[in-house]
Amino acid sequence: MEIIHSVHVFVKSLLFLLLWSKCEGRESELNQVTCGSLVKLLNTRHDVRLHSHDVKYGSGSGQQSVTGVESADDANSYWQIRGKPKHPCQRGEAIMCGQAIRITHMKTGRNLHTHHFSSPLSNNQEVSAFGENGEGDNLDVWMVQCDGIHWERDEAVRFKHVGTDVFLSVTGEQFGHPIRGQREVHGMSAPNQHNWWRSMEGVFLQPSQVPLRHDEL
Amino acid sequence: MATKGMNLCNVCCLLLYVITAVLAGRDFYAILGVTKSASIRDIKKAYRKLALQLHPDRNPDDPKAQDKFADLGSAYEVLSDEEKRKQYDAYGEDGLKEGHHGSHNDIFSSFFGDFGFMFGGNRQQQDRNIPRGNDIILDLEVTLEEVYSGNFVEVVRNKPIAKEAPGKRKCNCRQEMRTTQLGPGRFQMTQEMVCDECPNVKLVNEERTLEVEIEQGVRDEMEYPFIGEGEPHIDGEPGDLRFRIKVLKHPVFERRGDDLYTNVTISLVEALVGFEMDIVHLDGHKVHIVRDKITKPAARMWKKGEGLPNFDNINIRGSLIISFDVEFPQTQLDDQQKDGVLSLLKQDSIQKVYNGLQGY
Repeated sequence: MEIIHSVHVFVKSLLFLLLWSKCEGRESELNQVTCGSLVKLLNTRHDVRLHSHDVKYGSGSGQQSVTGVESADDANSYWQIRGKPKHPCQRGEAIMCGQAIRITHMKTGRNLHTHHFSSPLSNNQEVSAFGENGEGDNLDVWMVQCDGIHWERDEAVRFKHVGTDVFLSVTGEQFGHPIRGQREVHGMSAPNQHNWWRSMEGVFLQPSQVPLRHDEL
Repeated sequence: MATKGMNLCNVCCLLLYVITAVLAGRDFYAILGVTKSASIRDIKKAYRKLALQLHPDRNPDDPKAQDKFADLGSAYEVLSDEEKRKQYDAYGEDGLKEGHHGSHNDIFSSFFGDFGFMFGGNRQQQDRNIPRGNDIILDLEVTLEEVYSGNFVEVVRNKPIAKEAPGKRKCNCRQEMRTTQLGPGRFQMTQEMVCDECPNVKLVNEERTLEVEIEQGVRDEMEYPFIGEGEPHIDGEPGDLRFRIKVLKHPVFERRGDDLYTNVTISLVEALVGFEMDIVHLDGHKVHIVRDKITKPAARMWKKGEGLPNFDNINIRGSLIISFDVEFPQTQLDDQQKDGVLSLLKQDSIQKVYNGLQGY
C-alpha cells in the first residue's frame, strides 16, 4: 500500500518537474510586422491611413496616386510587405530595422514608388504606385527606419526611400473632387513629426515550421 | 496470510480504478483519428478534415451530430495545447485541470472564418440585398516542399469590428423627389436627401488567430476563404479574407501538374560505364538511381510515384522525370590517350552529313 502510494507521488512529482522544465515559450512573432503580411499604415501626426486606388495624378508623372484617408474600413488601404526585387524575404520572418522592402498595394498590385517629380499640392516629391503584379523597378524600394531590432507592430517607424533618400510623409494638404478630403502623401528630405507611420489593421503571417523531413522508411 | 490477501485486493482495486478512469474519459486520439505520437500539424490537419465532415449543418439527419462535433472540438482543444496534452496523456480526461472553456465556435472559426457556415447554399443567394464589406486577398507564397508535405500557417488578423456606440447616426441615405405646391395649379419638384436613423456604431480593432492549411498537392491560384474576416460594413456584413496560393519556383524540381522534373549532369565516364546515385526529395527521403548501361545525353528516367500527391486524392502521386545530360572532359587528350580511346571503344568513324534543322 505504501509502496504504491510512494510510487504515485514519485511519478506525479516527476511529471510536474517535466512540465516545469519544458516551459520554453515558442518565440512569438505576434508583435512584429513580418514578411508577406498585409498592413494598413497610419500616419501618426495626421491620423490618416496610406491609401491608393485606380485614380491617376493629373500632373507630375501621371501615375496612380497615393493618398492618406481617414476611414479605417477601406480595403484599398491594405499594403503587402515584400522583399526587394530578386531578394524575396522568408514568409513570416520579422522585418528588421534597416531592412529594405517593397510595399505593394493589395488591390492594384502596384508598388509604393517615388521619383523626381513634384507633388501636385505641396511641391514636395511625388509618391505614386507603380508597376504591374508587384513588379516595378528599383525605385520601389524603401528602408524601414526604427530603433531596436525588429519592426514592432505597436511602434511608429519611418520609411526612407532607397534611391532618392526622402521620407514618406503627410503634411495635411487635401485634394478636391474626385478624391475630396484625401490627403496628399509625398516624399520629404527631412525626418520630422510628419513621417512617422504605425501598423494598424492587417493580416500578420507568423513563421511556420519547415515541413517534416524524414529518411526513407 | 491476511496481508497477502490484502495486497492482492489492493492490486485488484487499483487495476479496476485505472480501467474505469481510462474508460470514463473520451479517447481524444481516436476521435481525431491520429496516433499518440502525432505532431501538432497532423492534429490540425485531422481536425480540419473532420470538422468539415462532422459539422451539424452538414448532417441534419443525424441526431448525434451535435455531440460528435462537440467531442471533436474538445479533442482538438486538448491535443493542440502542449500542456493540456501532457496532462491528458498522464491522467486521462478527468485529469485535466479546468473544464473546457472557449466554445467550439472559436476553434472552428479560426480554421474557416467567422460568419456561420454555408454548406451547399451560397451566402450570396440568401443575402443579396445586405451590403457587404470589401474582400481582402492575400497572396500566400508557398514552397514546393510545403506542396509535397503540407503545412499550416498561423496568421494574426487584426480587424475593425462595428460596435454599438451611444447616440444615433444617419443611415440608408438616398435622394428622393419632393413635390411642393407653390400655389393653385403650380407645383415644384425638388430633390431631397432623406436618411433613416440607426443606432450609432463605431469601429473597434480586435485580434484573433487564424489557421491556414496548405494542403498537399495544392495548385497555384487556389484560394482558401475565411468567411467574414474581410473588411466590415457599417450597414451590413463583413467581407471575406481569401488566401491565394502562389507556388514558388524551386531550384531543383520543376512542377508540371502532379509530375516533377529534374536534371542531372553526369560525367562522360559515368555515361559510358554506369553509375549509382541518390536524389534527395522534397521531404528528405532519397530516390535511388542505378545505371549499369550506357546513358545517352537527353536520356530520361521515369520514377513512378515520386511526383507530387494529387490534390483531390493524396494517395495518387505523379512521377519524377529525370533528364540526364553529359559533361565532356575539360582537358584535351594527348596522343597516347587518343590511341587508348581508339583501341578501347572500337567504334568506327561515322561522319554522316545531313540537314538537322528541317525548317525549325
